[in-house]
Amino acid sequence: MPGRPGNASRGFPGLFRARGAGRGRDPPDRRAAMHALLLRRLLTALPTLAAVVILSFVLMRVAPGGPFDGERALDPATRAALAKAYGLDLPLHEQVWRYLGRLAHGDFGPSLVYRDFSVTDLVAQGLPVSLTLGGLALLLALLLGIAAGAGAAIRPGSRRDAAIMLAATLLTVLPTFVTGPLLVLVFGMRLGWLPVSGWGGGDAAHLALPVLALALPVAGAIAKLTRAGLAGALAQDHVRTARARGLAPARLILRHALRPALVPVASYVGPAAAGLLTGAVVIETLFALPGLGRYFVQGALNRDYPLVLAVVTLYAALIILFNLLADLVYGWLDPRMRG
Amino acid sequence: MRTPLVLLVLIALAALVGPLLLPWPYDVIDWGAVRAPAFSPGHLLGTDAVGRDLLARALVGTRVTLAVAGAAASVALLIGVGWGAVAGWRGGRVDEAMMRIVDALYPLPFMFVVILLMALFGRSILLVFLGIGAVEWLTMARVVRGQVMGLRERPFVLAAEAAGASPLAIVRGHVLPNLAGVAIAYLLLTVPQVVMVESFLSFLGLGVQEPLTSLGILVKEGADDMDVAPAALLLPGGLLVAILICLTLAGERLRDRLAA
Repeated sequence: MPGRPGNASRGFPGLFRARGAGRGRDPPDRRAAMHALLLRRLLTALPTLAAVVILSFVLMRVAPGGPFDGERALDPATRAALAKAYGLDLPLHEQVWRYLGRLAHGDFGPSLVYRDFSVTDLVAQGLPVSLTLGGLALLLALLLGIAAGAGAAIRPGSRRDAAIMLAATLLTVLPTFVTGPLLVLVFGMRLGWLPVSGWGGGDAAHLALPVLALALPVAGAIAKLTRAGLAGALAQDHVRTARARGLAPARLILRHALRPALVPVASYVGPAAAGLLTGAVVIETLFALPGLGRYFVQGALNRDYPLVLAVVTLYAALIILFNLLADLVYGWLDPRMRG
Repeated sequence: MRTPLVLLVLIALAALVGPLLLPWPYDVIDWGAVRAPAFSPGHLLGTDAVGRDLLARALVGTRVTLAVAGAAASVALLIGVGWGAVAGWRGGRVDEAMMRIVDALYPLPFMFVVILLMALFGRSILLVFLGIGAVEWLTMARVVRGQVMGLRERPFVLAAEAAGASPLAIVRGHVLPNLAGVAIAYLLLTVPQVVMVESFLSFLGLGVQEPLTSLGILVKEGADDMDVAPAALLLPGGLLVAILICLTLAGERLRDRLAA
């Protein structure tokens, strides 16, 4: 790692004590840069969120059709009264303002289709399901991906390396809507080990297949990133020194090379969260799970404006949150960025 | 790089010519052979739950998926190359402003906007590829901008400029030809993204509409019927995965070769 001029003058023994010597004494300008980055991310988060909400709002209102186009045509007076009650008769920009104002107070408004529920109720039911699904999938993907990537990087160019990397490429291109049904076919129907659909109160048996289907493509991408990061890290001086001291390859990777190698993985966590949420829409439909994704598609088809907006807002907020989280992990992995 | 491309060409050829050679069209119901097993007379790979030829459906689905993906990727290519080339060539404030826009758009959950778009405005095939194309151009713009900035300082471009060639002529004669390789590599990598999005939308019932079919729709149909007839899932699913992996491998290898 460059940028530690003090160590070289200390001579040979200092080289071995050097690990971690600079910790806690980072140059203040780097720490300030990290703070500035985080602050900028936080400051841009709200406008981004507002932009997504406004864009979705306008898109929905420009689209033909409305929430009250049921099987049976309503008479004009009822329709007008309903529109007035939900504020749909106001000019578009006023509606957007009203919505943003309510949103700032944490009020998602009433559902236009599930008349007995507020959107907050619906979302409060769906969010835990989606979060459990996505969180477990991310965790599984990180574990599988990092382990596979490290396994491949221990002996670069070996047959195992080639096999793992081919498998990782295959996983990244396998869409969840192909792997999902295949997993159901094999483990649910043919072998009969696991239930094929439903939430079942969120027990492990019901979660296993959806989480696996969701995690696999992300795991493939993480394996590729870990492998590439490790290849770079293993070529660095401090790792070469450790290798010269006779450290076993596995120990070498765990103690010295993995942390810097995980920096690209950390920056991938943001996009991965977006991918997981998108994948969850399919997985929730496929496995009949009562998550946000199903509300999203159903809500858009039913023109349930407040419900769709709430889901879009939550998704956007989650993605922004994960990007922030990725920045923090990034700072933890790379001590030069720590604040 | 050869093998994936050859395989792709073969799949595309089969999708183009194959349906013409089969006795049953993809959308005609053979009442005498509902859920026929493979190698039935007239139906090489059997039929689906309502008696339509599986092979014909898979091949036509491949055709539609490839066509939509090609069109959408071309939209992405046009926007991306145009945007990136202008930003990289003009530099300075223009570049700053244009790339800020790209940076701002990058983390947005576009997939959801596309789903929204499809769910809200009827589901025309034109909208499918316009929507996808408009989303997938960002990476292309970044890559092209970087390339153009590098090319801008190269002696042959400077010489053309000093000789008084117009910017348009320089871009057309000197910059674009040098961009082609990288643009093709990223085009190859964009197409699988687009295929994925299209199939994803069709799977949710928001993309290509019946009676027309695509691999996404076929995977969905196959998934509904897989307990009785796994071939209905495995055939379109396998084709989809083969297309995706061939494009990705070809694109990655071309990109790495150009970078080396």
